[in-house]
Amino acid sequence: MKTLGLKVFIVVLVLASASVVRAGNDDFNSVVRMIEKFYGVKHQGIPFLARTGMNVATTAARIKGGDAKRIAEAGSIKLAVFEDQNFDGDFTKFRASLNEALNDTWMPLIQTLSGKGEEQVYIFLRNAGDKYNVLVITIEQRDATVVQVTLSQKNLALLLKDPEGTGKAITQEATINDQE
Amino acid sequence: MKSLFHINIRTPLLALSLIVTSALVAKAQDSRIQMGNLDYLAAKASQTVDVNLDERLMRLASKVFSDTDADEREVKKVIAGLKGIYVKSFEFDADGQYAAADVESIRSQLRGPGWTRLVNVTSKKEGILEVYLLFNGEQVGGLAVLHTDDRELTVVNIVGPVDLDKLAKLEGQFGVPELGIEQQKSKTKKDEQ
Repeated sequence: MKTLGLKVFIVVLVLASASVVRAGNDDFNSVVRMIEKFYGVKHQGIPFLARTGMNVATTAARIKGGDAKRIAEAGSIKLAVFEDQNFDGDFTKFRASLNEALNDTWMPLIQTLSGKGEEQVYIFLRNAGDKYNVLVITIEQRDATVVQVTLSQKNLALLLKDPEGTGKAITQEATINDQE
Repeated sequence: MKSLFHINIRTPLLALSLIVTSALVAKAQDSRIQMGNLDYLAAKASQTVDVNLDERLMRLASKVFSDTDADEREVKKVIAGLKGIYVKSFEFDADGQYAAADVESIRSQLRGPGWTRLVNVTSKKEGILEVYLLFNGEQVGGLAVLHTDDRELTVVNIVGPVDLDKLAKLEGQFGVPELGIEQQKSKTKKDEQ
């Protein structure tokens, strides 16, 4: 009886952790869908470089003069880009829905809104084992990006020290196009 | 019988630990200023900054800063024991975009028990800067900064043991804006002499 109880407990534990992981992994897509629904826009294909962390790293380093260190862990970048579309809408309502949707699994780090919603930047953070996931959502008048990356402890320190600057650098790093 | 015994003993113990935990949480949150009622100003502001470094993030922060790097060691010292850093800052294109009641909603909390206003500087150019400390007995349990001028409203709330020197070191880091606390401190000292 004892063994059966233990087995049931383990199965429940495994199922519970699997569902937590799945819910967490879906947040990136949920945010993309939320932007699409709220603003009536469609995200475009992921730029070539964002598919491999290594290429982004090389490009970022080259553009910054060869010395720059990559922020995101190799291969960890998830990116959705919205280009040349209309982001008209009540940004205060969008912000409230976003916070509500991510509140359970992500910690809101910093949110900046400029020019009455002309530029919105949201940075969320969560634990991912011994590393950290960072979600950076940037919405401008005609463009938007959603970037999710994994950071090492060292780079998390950078983000915490300068959330705005590092958040921008993460987006920049993810969207640099080698073909330009 | 055995399970009943366990329930009997465990239930009050569980209830007691829950009460103790909530009391501790309530005590730790004493210096947390409620700023949510300012959120509506984002619709009027030309620039809004909202920083939420809660206890989980502060714990994380104290883990990720290295002891070997001198800068990081310094930051680690500054944030040691802090339970949260919260900032709400609004900049406006025109005068009079926020109401006196908005400022009052913050000030009224800072008139509560334990809070002492440490700095109050009014300048035509830079508006009003107020710094408050929350004392739990002889220990400082939190700090709040309220900066207002015709086109700006900023509230910084640091929860946990902190002093003005620490605040000055946090300026420009962790999303805390540059408040010129050091200059204001020396100005206040000069005025007192």
